[in-house]
Amino acid sequence: MPEQTAVQQPAPAPVPTPKPQPPRRSIHQIVTTSKIWKSIFRHDFKDTPRTRVMRIFGNVFLHLQPVRIPRSAIRVSYSWGLGGITFFLFLILTVTGVLLMFYYRPSVTGAYQDMKDLEFVVTLGLLLRNMHRWSAHAMVVCTILHMIRVFLTGAYKAPREFNWGVGIVLLVLTLLLSFTGYLLPWDQLALWAVTVGTNMASATPLLGAEGPFSIVTPMNDARFVTLGGTIVGQNTLLRFYVLHCIALPLVLFILVSVHFWRVRKDGFSTPDPKSPAYQDKVDTWPHLIAREFLAALLVLILLTGASIFRNAPLEEAANPNRTPNPSKAPWYFAGLQELLVYFDPWIAGVVLPGVIVVGLLAIPFIDPNPKGIGYYSIKDRPLANSIFLFGNFLWFLLIAIGMYCRGPNWEWYWPWEPWSSHRITMARTWNIPNPIGLALIGGYFALGMTLPALLKREFFKQLGLIKYSIVMGLLLMMGGVVGKILLRLLLNVKYIVSFPQFNLNI
Amino acid sequence: MANETAVAQSAQGAPACGGGFVGELSRKEFLRKLGWACFATYMVGSVLAMLRFMFPNVLYEPPTSFKAGKPDEYPINSVSTKWTKSKRVWVVRTPKGFYALWARCTHLGCTPNWFESERRFKCPCHGSNFTMQGDVIFGPAPKPLYRAAIAKTDDGQLLIDKGRLENRPGARERGDFFLPHAENA
Repeated sequence: MPEQTAVQQPAPAPVPTPKPQPPRRSIHQIVTTSKIWKSIFRHDFKDTPRTRVMRIFGNVFLHLQPVRIPRSAIRVSYSWGLGGITFFLFLILTVTGVLLMFYYRPSVTGAYQDMKDLEFVVTLGLLLRNMHRWSAHAMVVCTILHMIRVFLTGAYKAPREFNWGVGIVLLVLTLLLSFTGYLLPWDQLALWAVTVGTNMASATPLLGAEGPFSIVTPMNDARFVTLGGTIVGQNTLLRFYVLHCIALPLVLFILVSVHFWRVRKDGFSTPDPKSPAYQDKVDTWPHLIAREFLAALLVLILLTGASIFRNAPLEEAANPNRTPNPSKAPWYFAGLQELLVYFDPWIAGVVLPGVIVVGLLAIPFIDPNPKGIGYYSIKDRPLANSIFLFGNFLWFLLIAIGMYCRGPNWEWYWPWEPWSSHRITMARTWNIPNPIGLALIGGYFALGMTLPALLKREFFKQLGLIKYSIVMGLLLMMGGVVGKILLRLLLNVKYIVSFPQFNLNI
Repeated sequence: MANETAVAQSAQGAPACGGGFVGELSRKEFLRKLGWACFATYMVGSVLAMLRFMFPNVLYEPPTSFKAGKPDEYPINSVSTKWTKSKRVWVVRTPKGFYALWARCTHLGCTPNWFESERRFKCPCHGSNFTMQGDVIFGPAPKPLYRAAIAKTDDGQLLIDKGRLENRPGARERGDFFLPHAENA
């Protein structure tokens, strides 16, 4: 346009002046002023307050975050970025998982061969599989650590009770994704871990063929529907494949969206949203985004390193008749496996996991203490923190026992002891007679429920009857688990009470 | 809101048609509830149907019975692990006769191993121990090992069927689950 104007105007002076050159436009300018570019990006990229805001709410993904957040909420030593890292791991798992699917057939004749091909034939197949496996382990770790962090900072208290619940369901889904995933290689670990896992379903009260008060048969119980038959076979592999690749990720994705959205709506945890400390806010872009990006980079570097230097295990091909000795579950289920040594499957595999999940869900509703939101403090919440940390400690202690103290025939071996599958033990377990056992259990619960209420009236009044019963019930069960474990390890006691005719043994 | 209207109409004694009782549903309200009831029934039915869909009607699983060779291949007072790897069965021969133990731990379904030195089966998954008879003597297994039906075929071989199982003391030592020597002479 300026050029044309210059041509049309007659020269005003006798001295000829050089023609005004059109401003030279760089490729960058041409691209960023084009209609296509502008149709995609609605803001410039200058570092102005307006653009910082526009970057967040003009982006469908980034606007899950507020445009400005309290300075205290992005302190790394507060949240440790665990929620975000967990989500990033899920993204890595999605990408590596989809790529692995191109070379994997969920068939009992092809699956193991495909794993071998991924390891030895497919370019980068081994690296991708390693990355998938290590990200899955890391996701389990981060989800648990995130839960512990949220608990310790009281971030589940009102108004965030619902989101805590969503988080617990996400933890369960993460474990289910791991469980369904490790059948897919169709190796010995896969087959036997899933055999054990699905047999727990048959111990479900009422709905399992071998559970207490069973009303079904092996041909129509909970195990049958999980396996798609009576053995871990082709139907099972296909079921677990569909669950692992489609159904569970879909549910997880939906719930993660809800989880993020609620974080956004409920705000970051603070004792007082109106306090000056909470009102001291910074722009999400770049302060939070930069931290998230750095965390993601760090995770990516660590994972890539781990995947280059350490291979995911692959045992020999699945053999439905022979179990490896010892047969150990992956570490995150080793605690459950160890628990199954001390209790009947319907307790260790169904009731206790159920109580743990329901107990976790109930935490925000049974904790009456308004203190301790938004900061770590053992002083303000001595009871809650000790119980929760003790519960977690117990779980990891069981994992450690399962991982390091069990050898052939699942016998006790200290980590420094050499294993021998022919060690002679001759040990025998015995049952406590039912009348004594019933009196023991009844007395334990009766005393446990009434003594604290009588001795600590304040505690009882603060909670009220219902909350008190739930809290004490959960606590007594936790104590009971420890007691039963000690009875078995020290005195070889098998059952405290036993009614084999109803499959009911404790 | 709709409920209040319905109650108000009925209370005024002006129902849409028919007799007018206090608290009676108006036609509109009735149809609304009926509609939702149908919808709810459909949804519950669909969930149940999907659940039923997940139960297969035909299974393509290995056969449960097999021929286990001649009786004299098994020494007296022994637990044979000959068929454990391929058929998951131990053939036990006592001075009185034969029985076949299904090599599946009654705890959570792993395959135990036989240890001759201790005369025990030991499970590698959670440490259950069983006697030669299949009774639990250590570990978490709640029940004795199952015995499979055992018989003799026309050509003089042992026929073992894992499709029929028994583990109750008393019942497991007779009938289809024990083959006395007299019968296989």
